[in-house]
Amino acid sequence: MTVTLSASVPTTSARRRKPVNRSRVAAWIAVAVIGLFGLAPVYWLVVTALTPDERAFSFPPSLIPTEITFDHFAKLAENQQLFGYLVNSVIVSVITAVLSVIVSAYMAYAFAKFRYRGRRSLMHLVLASQLFPQALLLVTLYAVFSATGLLGSYTALILSFTTFTLPLCVWMLKGIFDTVPSTLMEAAAIDGASRWRTLHTIALPLAAPGLIAAGLFAFVRAWNDFIFALTLADPARQTLPPGLVHTYLGEFQTAWPDLMAASFVVSLPVIAAFMFLQRYLVGGLTAGAVKG
Amino acid sequence: MNTLNRRDALRLLGLSTLGVTALAACAPDASGGAPQGDTAAKAFGFTSWSLNEEAQKAAVQAIVDGYAGNEGVKITTASFPYNEYLNQVTLKLRGGQLTGAIQLDVAWLGALAAMGKLRDLAAPAAKGGYTEVALSSGQSGGKQLGLPWTTGSIGLIANTALLEKAGVDGVPATVAEFEAALRKVAALDGVIPYAAATKAAQLKDILPWMRTFGSPLLDGDTITVGDEPSVAAVEWYKKLYDAKLIAPDVDRFDARALFAQGKAAFYDDAIIARGVVASQAPDKSLADKMAPLSRPVLKAGDSPQALLWGHVIAVVEGEGADAAADFAAYATSDTATVARFFEQVKLPPTTTAGLADPKVSGDAFTTEWTEKITKTATANPFWRYAGYAQIETAIAEQVQAVLVGDSSAKEALAKATETAKGLQK
Repeated sequence: MTVTLSASVPTTSARRRKPVNRSRVAAWIAVAVIGLFGLAPVYWLVVTALTPDERAFSFPPSLIPTEITFDHFAKLAENQQLFGYLVNSVIVSVITAVLSVIVSAYMAYAFAKFRYRGRRSLMHLVLASQLFPQALLLVTLYAVFSATGLLGSYTALILSFTTFTLPLCVWMLKGIFDTVPSTLMEAAAIDGASRWRTLHTIALPLAAPGLIAAGLFAFVRAWNDFIFALTLADPARQTLPPGLVHTYLGEFQTAWPDLMAASFVVSLPVIAAFMFLQRYLVGGLTAGAVKG
Repeated sequence: MNTLNRRDALRLLGLSTLGVTALAACAPDASGGAPQGDTAAKAFGFTSWSLNEEAQKAAVQAIVDGYAGNEGVKITTASFPYNEYLNQVTLKLRGGQLTGAIQLDVAWLGALAAMGKLRDLAAPAAKGGYTEVALSSGQSGGKQLGLPWTTGSIGLIANTALLEKAGVDGVPATVAEFEAALRKVAALDGVIPYAAATKAAQLKDILPWMRTFGSPLLDGDTITVGDEPSVAAVEWYKKLYDAKLIAPDVDRFDARALFAQGKAAFYDDAIIARGVVASQAPDKSLADKMAPLSRPVLKAGDSPQALLWGHVIAVVEGEGADAAADFAAYATSDTATVARFFEQVKLPPTTTAGLADPKVSGDAFTTEWTEKITKTATANPFWRYAGYAQIETAIAEQVQAVLVGDSSAKEALAKATETAKGLQK
């Protein structure tokens, strides 16, 4: 009897069960798969950094480390050269970021808020510079910096990085300045503000999230570059990417666990910067997407 | 919307440019730059990837300091990672930024010789007491463009313990004996008999096997890859692959890892293998079980094939070249220096006196390697072309196509040769 009742009358919980939202499930699966692709290399990096040398190449590889060592991290502290590379990276990346933001803000404002002959062509020209493979430009820049005596200096690195970050920064900030209502500028002009003052006291504060996003983009671009840093800087001014390769990737052998430990540690400042500034970054990247 | 007249636009443009210049100028500047050489007669540069490699930098720096101290000269050093070294040296040599002595891999000499900036070192080479095979590693286009610093070879290494366990008696001398040994090893659980290169990136390792089967690879300027012996070599390689005597997706790093774990009985490597493998091996006695062996020959009486491998020191013609040439001779042929260098890094010297030094001759592995493998090693004939790496890649990709069953050996090598012909420059 009981069996019959329970079979024929739906239970309360069954009645309350919501229909499965298939698109939601698909979305979660997609997120999980993409997340796995993104995080699996990071997981493997950490595992390798914590694995003793003789276990790092065990075959078949083990997904979960059976033996853990912090020796590779301890060795980093003894390597003064790595600290030098880190300092160089910070100097070059911070100045590139600041320089890119300043220059691109003025350029973007000029493109967004002024009308003059050749504006559109100039804008396209700036974007077109992104079409050239950077390896091609390396040879040209090398000759230019060599002729001007800048080869080997921080200046050569900063100028070359800024060259590559400017187009995207300008494009990003132009979109943001486009969304700033022109009526605000007109109101400021009626109140007697000069164009200069209008830009600095009204437009730039409104574009702050975009400026941060542009700065972060330029910072990361400079932080991660390998080939320009290797070619244009002298050994004393080399940044982390060529420095790490130089230190750990040899002719005969690659010190993978040491390299992974160093890579993990040096990526921490960038991770921290992203965590701190991510809300601005997302806001900045999307601010110019819809015009008000 | 504001309007901007031409004057305002120019003002903004000027301000932007000024901003770039001012901020860049505020950056902590460098007075250095790439090595510029030195106008003084006894000052020169030395560019070497080993100067920054953990295992060798102290030993190389000691040679630099020793010479600078003895001769009262100033040596400006520079270094680039090995994998980027040729590109960086080429760029800097072309731009006139590189002077003095340069460490080079023997494979790169042909590419740099084509630039016409290296000095002919025939005179110091004649006085150095170098072995014939070492001298040949520094020659290109009939000139002695490099003094040999270390000369070795890429040869076969065996795990004697695994061979014993598999019941292989003695060292295989012919291809047939080698194949029979592989089949015996295959009976061992979880062991790859021969960790031969099967990834395209390292499949150039098949070239010595093609020579073993009788192909010269290059006859004058005619590429002979695709001839009967080279096709036979690839078909034999494919037979090993199908019989699982060699494994898919293996390159040098994988082969070392497998060998270090005791999961491969044979593999190809340079003489430095002992140190590299030992550092990765859980079995600390593995180094004692490693034995170099002559590459098996097709029939008794043939000469065993091995690929020449090593480093030379070349000298850029121009300022400081005389002193740099003297330094190159010191680093490569001063017996006490080369013996000490061997003691520290285990890279074999290139002079007869250096090889006879007790520090070197007392090392059984090195002596055996020199006698069994390096003695008959020859350079890759494609090294004479600047595009040698692309030629090797063209061949390797086609051999891989054969291994995975996409092509027959004959068709694949014919295609590789067609591609390679366009790269002979």
